[in-house]
This record gives sequence, structure tokens and C-alpha cells, in this order.
Amino acid sequence: MIGVYYEDHEVGQTARLGAHRFTREAILDFARRFDPQPFHLDEAAAAESIFGGLCASGWHTVSASMRLLVDGRSGQRAAAAARGEDPPPLGLGAGVRDLRWSAPVKPDDVIEFSLRIDSMRETRRPQWGLIGMRIIGVNQDGREVCAYTLMGLAARRLA
Amino acid sequence: MDLLYFEDFSPGEVAEYGDRMVTAEEIVEFAREFDPQPFHLDEAAARGSMAGGLRASGWHSAALMMRINCDAFFLRAASQGSPGIESIDWLRPVRPGDRLSVRRTTISARVSRSRPDIGVVEGRFELMNQNREVVMRQQGPMFIRRRPGGEARR
Repeated sequence: MIGVYYEDHEVGQTARLGAHRFTREAILDFARRFDPQPFHLDEAAAAESIFGGLCASGWHTVSASMRLLVDGRSGQRAAAAARGEDPPPLGLGAGVRDLRWSAPVKPDDVIEFSLRIDSMRETRRPQWGLIGMRIIGVNQDGREVCAYTLMGLAARRLA
Repeated sequence: MDLLYFEDFSPGEVAEYGDRMVTAEEIVEFAREFDPQPFHLDEAAARGSMAGGLRASGWHSAALMMRINCDAFFLRAASQGSPGIESIDWLRPVRPGDRLSVRRTTISARVSRSRPDIGVVEGRFELMNQNREVVMRQQGPMFIRRRPGGEARR
């Protein structure tokens, strides 16, 4: 896993974020709240759609990946604190680039998420750097289901 | 109500819709499930952070915009989902009590090369708060079925 400060990152670094199982219940629950299109809610209607069956909202897929990313980062911050280090302030996300929903996520699919550091740059604010990380989700058959580049602020180690 | 088909989306058209109040409870509920960072979970912790107070997860804003879009037009359009989003920009915080609406602009519309029964509509979606400030901007394609043997109805 990668460290907590901007300077702990390096373009090309990769890390596993973990896996998430999308149960039918969770797919339906998310869809009812945020994306009640028939192919996320109704098996018969979904069979008629271009997806050929019930599938998770793409927003559900990316939200689940965020949870794994945050959990991983929280673990690292806790580990840093346990070493007696002061974890840096948390940075906000600035946006997303090139988000692809490449294949549907079906009930009981287990999606394995990973990240790769794609870009790093300084910002006008000396305490924050901007990191572009590519998050990629792959299903149990090895097929990519989603990928996006999250642009996020990371605190810099101030000398 | 008649379904909206690909032919009903013409480049340059702008539509505005939605009035969705966001509560602190739902901000925290979404964050607990998907984005448990202090500035999405706890007002006191958020005040001491770069967020300057409790604010919705950017993914929550995206999900709320999807719901506003569904209620306004996706559910009465021959929608076939989306292959992705080119860009999302989180420009301003979404705070408890904000009322959200959407401004949708059709950028372009073309028939799919691989699926001639499907059209690809490129849209820009701006999520606005009650002060008409854009809090999030998204741009990307939507798949919408072509009207069987027909032209635009409007």
C-alpha cells in the first residue's frame, strides 16, 4: 500500500484496494434510492435491455470502490498514528476523468479493485499536491467492469 | 406519456429541472456506506478540515444528480444506460439544507456505428444549488434507443 503524504506517491505505483460482492439486495437498494431505471430494478425489463439482465447502477460500482479506497487509507493513517506519526490532513477530491463502465456488474459478482498512480503535480497551494489515480474494477472472470481517474488532493510534507 | 427517443434530443437544447433538498442525515448515511471520511460524517470534525463544514461526498452528489435526472427524463426516455463519463468536476460543496437542481445541455447526438438502433447523446449536466451556483459538472454520452421508424415527435 502507498503512504499518506503526497511525497509518498510515485507515478506508476499500484496497490490492491480489495474486493466487493454486489448482492442483488444491495443492487436493488441503491437503484431504488438513486437510479431507478428498469435494468437496475426489474429482471424482466433488464432482459430486454442492452445489458441482457439485471445489473448494478454504475454509480453504485464507483461508490463501492470509493469505500475500499477510504478504508485502505484509514488503515494507513491508523498505522501511521500507531507509529507515533501525526497523520496529515485529508484532502478532498477535485474530480474524475475518463470514467468507463466497460461491462455490467451482475448480482453476486465479486469485483476486485486496484489503483495505479497516473499523475502527480504541485498546486498553487504549497500544502496540497494533486494526484491522479486510476481505479480499476475487474470481475471474477477477469473482465474489467469499470475504470476511472480520480483527481484528489494529498497533503504535502512541509519541511 | 410518450417515451423520449434519440430523435427528441437536439444539439444545443437546454433543460432545467429538479428541486431536491439535501439533509444532514442522508449526507451522513451515504458517507457511512460509501465514503466514511470525517468531513462527510461529522459536523465538528468537518469544521476543522479543508472542507470547512459537513459536506456531501462527491459520489453522493453524483448519485443525487442521477436521481434528479431519472425523475425528470431518464425514466420516460428509451435510455439504455451509459458507457461512461468523460469528466466530473466537484466545484463547490453540497451542504445540509441545499436545494439541488440540474441544467442539462445536449452537446451532440449521433447514431451508434455498431448498434444502428441506438443513438449516442453527448450531454453536459450541471448540478446547481439554491443560489444557482454550479456545484458539480459532468459531461458524457448516454445511449438512447432510436424511435422505431420515426422522427422527432416534439
